[in-house]
Amino acid sequence: MPDISTNAKPTWCPGCFNFQILAGVKNALSRKISTHNAKKEDFALVSGIGCHAKIFDYINLNGVNTLHGRVLPTCLGIKVGNPNLEVIGFSGDGDAYAEGMEHLIHAARYNADIKYIVHNNQVFALTVGQPTPTTELGYKDKTNPLGVKLMPINPIKMMLNAGASFVARVFADAKQVEWVLEEALEHKGFAFIEVIQPCIIFHPDIGVKEKTYMLQENRHFKENLGDALKKAEEFDYNTINKIPLGIFYQKERETFEEKWPQLKSLIGRKASWKDIKR
Amino acid sequence: MKLNIRIDGHAGQGPNALAKVLGSVLAKQGYYVFISRDYGSYIRGGHNANVLTLSDSQIMSNDLEADIAIFLEKNIEIKEPRKLKDNCRIIDSAVEKNMYFAGRLVKMLGLDFRILENELKKLKNFDVNLRDAKKGYADAKTEFALRSLKNKLEFMDGGVGIAEGAIASGLDVYFAYPMTPATSVMGELAERQLENNHIVIELEGEIAAINAAIGSAITGAKAMTGSSGGGFDLMTEALSFIGQAEVPLVIYLAQRVGPGTGAATYTEQADLNLALNAGHGEFPRIVLAPGDPLECQELTSQAFYFSQKYRVPALILSDKHLAESLYTIKNKPVITKSQKCISLKRFNSYNHDESGTAADNAPAIAKSAESRIKKAEEIKKEARKFKPFKLYGKSGSKNLVLFWGSTKGAVLDACKDIDVKALQILYMEPFPEEIKSELLKAKNLLIVENNSTSQLAQLIASKTCIHINKENKILKYNGRPFLTDELRMEIEKRIR
Ligand SMILES: Cc1ncc(C[n+]2csc(CCOP(=O)(O)OP(=O)(O)O)c2C)c(N)n1
Repeated sequence: MPDISTNAKPTWCPGCFNFQILAGVKNALSRKISTHNAKKEDFALVSGIGCHAKIFDYINLNGVNTLHGRVLPTCLGIKVGNPNLEVIGFSGDGDAYAEGMEHLIHAARYNADIKYIVHNNQVFALTVGQPTPTTELGYKDKTNPLGVKLMPINPIKMMLNAGASFVARVFADAKQVEWVLEEALEHKGFAFIEVIQPCIIFHPDIGVKEKTYMLQENRHFKENLGDALKKAEEFDYNTINKIPLGIFYQKERETFEEKWPQLKSLIGRKASWKDIKR
Repeated sequence: MKLNIRIDGHAGQGPNALAKVLGSVLAKQGYYVFISRDYGSYIRGGHNANVLTLSDSQIMSNDLEADIAIFLEKNIEIKEPRKLKDNCRIIDSAVEKNMYFAGRLVKMLGLDFRILENELKKLKNFDVNLRDAKKGYADAKTEFALRSLKNKLEFMDGGVGIAEGAIASGLDVYFAYPMTPATSVMGELAERQLENNHIVIELEGEIAAINAAIGSAITGAKAMTGSSGGGFDLMTEALSFIGQAEVPLVIYLAQRVGPGTGAATYTEQADLNLALNAGHGEFPRIVLAPGDPLECQELTSQAFYFSQKYRVPALILSDKHLAESLYTIKNKPVITKSQKCISLKRFNSYNHDESGTAADNAPAIAKSAESRIKKAEEIKKEARKFKPFKLYGKSGSKNLVLFWGSTKGAVLDACKDIDVKALQILYMEPFPEEIKSELLKAKNLLIVENNSTSQLAQLIASKTCIHINKENKILKYNGRPFLTDELRMEIEKRIR
């Protein structure tokens, strides 16, 4: 398998679950490059701002480390610029659900062929531990000494309702990440993947992993939106009861780039705007 | 010879379409035409005024008083300060539709009906419009015998000029979110996207629009976005990101009355400082300010040229008055061709090394800053090859009128035949510091701006250490453009 590492030395905390995500992503992408005869140049990676975003520095593929919260419009722009690229975005839960929320809802509706991985550690880690929209009630830190008073959002439910054509959740374990990304890469359309990632400093695993189970091992029918919504309700990001993992929902429909004749023609000719001489 | 014709009606009665048709007919006959639009922020109802000025020599502004008034309904009240002449001919009706008046005016001016008929063919509802126009033609007497002139003139507004310029520069993608008065460029580009094979996409907001444009730009596409006031404010974080990541992007900023939501459909030149300073950190940028649709085309192509060659943001600064007024243009634009200079690699909003990886060590930070400084110097050097400023009027005059952007029309018209020289600045950044010698030559400096704090004077002072006397600042900040005779009086009061 080709080596897609950079020379940069990771600056995540020793033992950080981001290493698991990095390993899973690298495995899936290297395999795609070696077995599907894809080229390194066929990929574009986009990351936001936060601990998660450093992943951009550790994978030697093209793309951009963009602004906080702007991963999805950047991905969309890349896809419009060259619809033949395999575009993969990385966000944190702050990046995706706080600063970038307006884009997330619309990305699900647009259904551009973009794979989007949210590293959900239930905190703003890089800014040292403030609560995000998915932090549980009562969580305290220096900026919120009175504790979180609002119920977290349920991103899986939200993405299902917003029309995402692929909705999955896994735990930050290299094997799971690799599996789900490979599935997503086979999917044509917007793939939303949330990775439950304990933050060993600010939000350690308080028994989450034990409560997880795989949907795909429990006869889950992923083309049924109603079933997917029911499964999404099992974990509300506040109380840990049962945490379903796997692909909640997957159903392909026409993609964003297939709807514009200009982009369709670029796809047909395996070209980008850059190739168009005027 | 010069006539000012007002066309007033309710939004929805079609006063704009009527004015445009009349302007096209006159332009086809070789007459110079200028049409400004005054309207409020409503869709149906409400007063909507077009003022059409026509002349046998170049004009690009309206006068204070109208010679002819077309009222699409009875009892129209004219909003101050514009007036009707004492002997103004008023054509009104409570029943007739807009193209009836086109027929009447064409007859009144002694123009050929067939030209009107041809213009009507370009619109919807041809049969109805033609019937109305014929009726109007029959109802009128010829009072002016306008013979046709030899001039070959284009007729367009500044928004179309920007769109034409973008297409001529090889635009590939345009992302935006609607906001008056920037939307006309989006609309024009959208209508022509299939014919020209580019793409126009409306996204969920301005932040999405500019970030998507950045995404496309890094793949090598020629990308552009545009907005006004608050919409542009939302883009400023991304503007700074472009400065760091070195992405070529053209940004259209159409000014309107601010601050806040301000007055959406009225004009102001109050975002010069914003364009020059928006975005945190220090990075090179281009800010160009065209003054008419010809310059819109030319400067847009220069914006693409500089942004691609130097991988910097290039802003085109226009305003409601320029974007939505119709002008006749005699000359063909000089389009600067540009390459597509970017290929997808690793870009970064963090300070980074050559491989695109984040780097925060002291030498890496200093190195990036120095490379930006060097780039700014190169851009400045190359900008001199273009026309960063233009001179008009009496070359030996001691009175020098300074201006920028959409005041061009009124300034040039007002300065005709009086003892002044006029200097227009088109490159706000990099600023043509060489104008200093012109300023030193003049004994009397005047400045004309559509804002209340004279932002160009501030810029000139910071670049040349030359200050313009307070009493020589002719500033208008009520959302309305300068009128020819009004401005001429203001200038005459101040010349020596
Ligand atoms: C516009 C903007 N606001 C705030 C910040 C500061 N900031 C940097 S990282 C971050 C939060 C990151 O949290 P998350 O996206 O969850 O990523 P994590 O660090 O947890 O991986 C914030 C708020 C910023 N860089 N930009």
